Amino acid sequence: MSLATALFLAFFGVAAIWFGIVVFRTHSMVRSAIALLFSQTAIGAMFLVMQAEFLGVLQIMMMATEMSVMAIFMVMFMMDPGGMGKMDMTHQKRLSLWAGGIGLVAALVVIWTAGWQGPVPDVPGADEQARLLGREILGRSMFIFESAALMILTAMIAATMVAIAPQEEDTP
Amino acid sequence: MMDLSGARQGLLRGFRGLVAGAMARDLRAFVIPGEDIANARGLDLDAAGLIRAVTPRHANVLLIAGPLPTALADAASVVWAQMPRPRCILALGEVDLGPLPTADVTAEMSQAGLISGLEDLRKLLRNGAFAPDITEFDAPALSERIEYTCPMHPEVVSDEPGKCPKCGMFLVERRVSGAASHGHEGHEGHEGHEGHEGHEGHEGHEKSSTGSTQAEKAHHHADAVTSAEASTSYVCPMHPEVTSDTPGSCPKCGMDLVPQAEAGEHAHQGHHAHHGHGHHAKPASEPTGPYTCPMHPEVTSETPGSCPKCGMDLVPQAEAGGHAHSGHGSHKHHAHTPAQEGQGGHAAHGAHGQQDAHSEHHGHAGHGAAPDIPGIEPHFMSMVELTEGKPVSPDGLVMEWIDAPFGPFFPGLPSGLHMVLTLDGDSVAGAEIRGMEAAALPSGVALEDFAASLADAVPLSPVAMRELACRAAEAATGQTAPKDVLTARAAAVERERIASHLNWLAGLARQAGLAPLGRRAAAMEHRVRTAKADEVAEQATSITSLLHVALNRSLMGPKLTGIGTLQGASEGPVARAAGHASDARHGDGVYDELGFEPITQDEGDAMARLRQRCAEIAQSLDLIAEAGAIAIPVMPRAKGDGHGMATLETPRGPATLHLTLKGGMVSSTHLTTPFAALAAHVPDLIKQMELADALTAIASLDLDPWSASQ
Amino acid sequence: MSIAMILLALAVGCYAVAVLESWAVHGRLSLTRPATSALALLGREQIMPRTPDRLFFESGPVLLLVAGLLSVAVIPLAPGLIITDLAIGALFLNAALAYVLVALIMAGWGPNGAYGMIGGWRFLGQFIAYAMLIVMPITAVAMRAESLSTTQIVLSQAALWNVAYQPIGFVLFVIAAMGVAWLPPIDLPTGGGDLAGGVEAEYTGARLAVLRLARLVIIVALASATVTFYLGGWLGPWLPGWVWTALKTLAVAAGMLALGSRLPRLREAKYLELSWKLGITLALANIFLVGVIALVVPI
Repeated sequence: MSLATALFLAFFGVAAIWFGIVVFRTHSMVRSAIALLFSQTAIGAMFLVMQAEFLGVLQIMMMATEMSVMAIFMVMFMMDPGGMGKMDMTHQKRLSLWAGGIGLVAALVVIWTAGWQGPVPDVPGADEQARLLGREILGRSMFIFESAALMILTAMIAATMVAIAPQEEDTP
Repeated sequence: MMDLSGARQGLLRGFRGLVAGAMARDLRAFVIPGEDIANARGLDLDAAGLIRAVTPRHANVLLIAGPLPTALADAASVVWAQMPRPRCILALGEVDLGPLPTADVTAEMSQAGLISGLEDLRKLLRNGAFAPDITEFDAPALSERIEYTCPMHPEVVSDEPGKCPKCGMFLVERRVSGAASHGHEGHEGHEGHEGHEGHEGHEGHEKSSTGSTQAEKAHHHADAVTSAEASTSYVCPMHPEVTSDTPGSCPKCGMDLVPQAEAGEHAHQGHHAHHGHGHHAKPASEPTGPYTCPMHPEVTSETPGSCPKCGMDLVPQAEAGGHAHSGHGSHKHHAHTPAQEGQGGHAAHGAHGQQDAHSEHHGHAGHGAAPDIPGIEPHFMSMVELTEGKPVSPDGLVMEWIDAPFGPFFPGLPSGLHMVLTLDGDSVAGAEIRGMEAAALPSGVALEDFAASLADAVPLSPVAMRELACRAAEAATGQTAPKDVLTARAAAVERERIASHLNWLAGLARQAGLAPLGRRAAAMEHRVRTAKADEVAEQATSITSLLHVALNRSLMGPKLTGIGTLQGASEGPVARAAGHASDARHGDGVYDELGFEPITQDEGDAMARLRQRCAEIAQSLDLIAEAGAIAIPVMPRAKGDGHGMATLETPRGPATLHLTLKGGMVSSTHLTTPFAALAAHVPDLIKQMELADALTAIASLDLDPWSASQ
Repeated sequence: MSIAMILLALAVGCYAVAVLESWAVHGRLSLTRPATSALALLGREQIMPRTPDRLFFESGPVLLLVAGLLSVAVIPLAPGLIITDLAIGALFLNAALAYVLVALIMAGWGPNGAYGMIGGWRFLGQFIAYAMLIVMPITAVAMRAESLSTTQIVLSQAALWNVAYQPIGFVLFVIAAMGVAWLPPIDLPTGGGDLAGGVEAEYTGARLAVLRLARLVIIVALASATVTFYLGGWLGPWLPGWVWTALKTLAVAAGMLALGSRLPRLREAKYLELSWKLGITLALANIFLVGVIALVVPI
């Protein structure tokens, strides 16, 4: 890996983390959603730096739309979506600190103990990658992807149903 | 060399000179009161090559097309403040600009005046777009002052912070628009002007409810509405024994019935609203500590800090109560955090006012406390609690509602129509029409002057008004005109019907984004408005082809069909589009001789109204051809006393004028037009419609707020 | 070098589209109007609305411009005349256009005004209506070319342009492209009669100029994408390739603008309903048909 690549990778990595922090530092729901979007975009850019063109671009594309949809749901359901009220959105701080700490330690352990063998010497070309991905998704992994898609759809519908408050005419 | 009233600060040098030249060639006008009025007053903006801006933010010319009522002049000052500098005013005709600065260019009210005025403006802009010294603009409608009020005793209002003399609580601050200060005499003159006007982005007209100023207004407003609704009894202003539960007209004199509450309570409503605000301010169940959590009202503390349950900052209790505005004491109002103040467009404070009325239908009592879930602190961000007390839409989704002002100069509405729409997302949860205060008709004037001022006051149908005055005067004096004159006068009214319907079509096309069709209809309107009978006949084919295009435009059907179906209207083209063959022309001797038969449609939706008006244009063309000549009504000379009444089918429906003569002078008058009855249908008509559909529905009614009963 | 040439071509294209648009909207053809309008905009005061989300207000137009420029980056003007010939160019175009949505939400939310906010969220509300109809027809195009590279897609049309090979996809793509560029009759985020400028309503001066420029870039990007995917890109007799691309792009843009000025603004619900029920069905049918044809007939 060349120095430039490493620098870019580090830059996007730091950007992803920074936007991730912004998600929790802002009071505005919309800003929070957009910050999460750009955090994910930065991860997509990391994919691109690592020459996974298809995955990177896909990540960048999907996150733009997904996070926008999330933003509108936040605006719809939350009070004070603009954050002008400076409402504190944090909660269960001790639990989160512990969870975060344990997660960090676990990640470090994985990083130190994994047997890194250096980058794959010859990355296939982007079109070849796309072809291989297609064969993977439409072959061995098809069942996994299809069932995941179905579960997400069910979850979306269920979440919306739950979120809508019952109305009087609905209850006999 | 006169400076431009709205010059931008800077020296006119180098690049700025180039820019000023470009500005002079790129005039973008915001037309006041609106394009429909400008068309009706004989201005052909397209022919003058004038580009119109849809919002004052994109305009650099404020084109004032003729006289404005005072209320509109105030609204115009807000528009002016919203326009970015360099900006200029072109006033046509003799206009009292009210709070606006002196017009940069004044010209006569005609097409030639418009063109020469634009030419002068270009020169002015080229030389004066930038000036080293600029004058700030200020107007009462823009000013905002901070006043302090006691959360418990709303009648306590002070200009300085302090304690309430009644209960010793600290007064809380709030912002009040200078324009909304009618309730508190004696407090004007303390306006703390905030910021420079150019940067204010003021809320009065185009902006959403920025900050609490608007919220305050909304509060007043919503409560006032509720009180008006509470007493739904209508009474005739002339015959107090006539009362009715529904709006309508008096069977004895034909005048519009007015809400009974309005008669006595009107003067107090502003104040009244305040009381309401105050009473809500402190729900009975509120606990007693000075600090409380906005989410957990049971948490109270003597000292500031954070809530042990959710970690939010505790807020002073008085403040919490003051803003929570929880009308139903037993409800806990977590939803309204105190600091939501100033949130503007995103949190519609106006909605709180609405909730009072709303909760009668959708009680929220059913929402109990959220069940405790193990591992999660009780009440943490429970949607049920967060949204408790918020108005619920029919789709069950609880959202912040926005009160957005539309008008009086909104490009998609008839000019002068001022509405406040309560928006639930993109659909209309409630609507309110704020009437236009029409200029009072003069009394004690000669008949001819009276007809002229009546025609001026109703610029969209001046000829019909003149004819109406004429008929009433004839009824009062017992004179009658020769038959051929009557026929020619009827033809003049029919010509105006064509022009008025074309003008309406142009407005509808503009609103629907059909710019070329709108231009064509407006151009045709200019050709017809003052044409002679034979000239009208020459235009007949091109008018017919225009109507054909309008009716058969692709996607026009899906756009208009099923929108704004109204079966309840009793008069005018709107009623005829719904199948009620009520037409004041029917049974009128003059029209009978011309072979008039009312036309009707069935569906009563916007598409039917389009078809109806197109059919009426064709019918009017036939009537004019039958009449053969057009004559503008001339008022009869009058002597002596008398009372006369006349009803005429104006382009928007029947208008009735009562006229009392004393010694040959007009001593008292009363005009009834279809506007009030039609406008009363609007809130119900557009409820729960999408915003775009609602605006289409309103446009299809062809409301004329200028003709509000006088 | 090719980057400079493409940016120059883009600038010329934007100007031409601006001329066409002002012709369609104001009914007068003026070759100088866009230049004077832009200059005048630069000279106007920039007003900051009260209590804005300043970050969003400022960055919305810029992000829009960046999204437009990125989507142009994968459009070939002629063989070799392309900013970056990515192997997954068609997907990249989609990804860049997705940020039009983000930018409009930010620009609508930023000024803290009802009209802008409704405009921005409206655009998101219509998301399914246009996004699926951009992606699904492109899928069929890529199936025929057996590549996501825009250059390969143009070359695959040497025998027969896609407009004839998959006409359903073409129609759907053009309609969806008009939705993405919020061209009339689908100008829902800015509709003059509905929202008095909507997302644009609070922008003035140079910021408005950036917003308008970004929109022009997006229109050009979508018109040239239509040309690349369906009208054979640079392919054509006699004239050099880049001339063909330019002419076809302008023709598509002019067609979109002419269509827009002749149709009333679509009702939101209708638009969404048509796209869901009819559009997506047709797009799926299109994918199936193209698949069958590609298997059976070798062109």
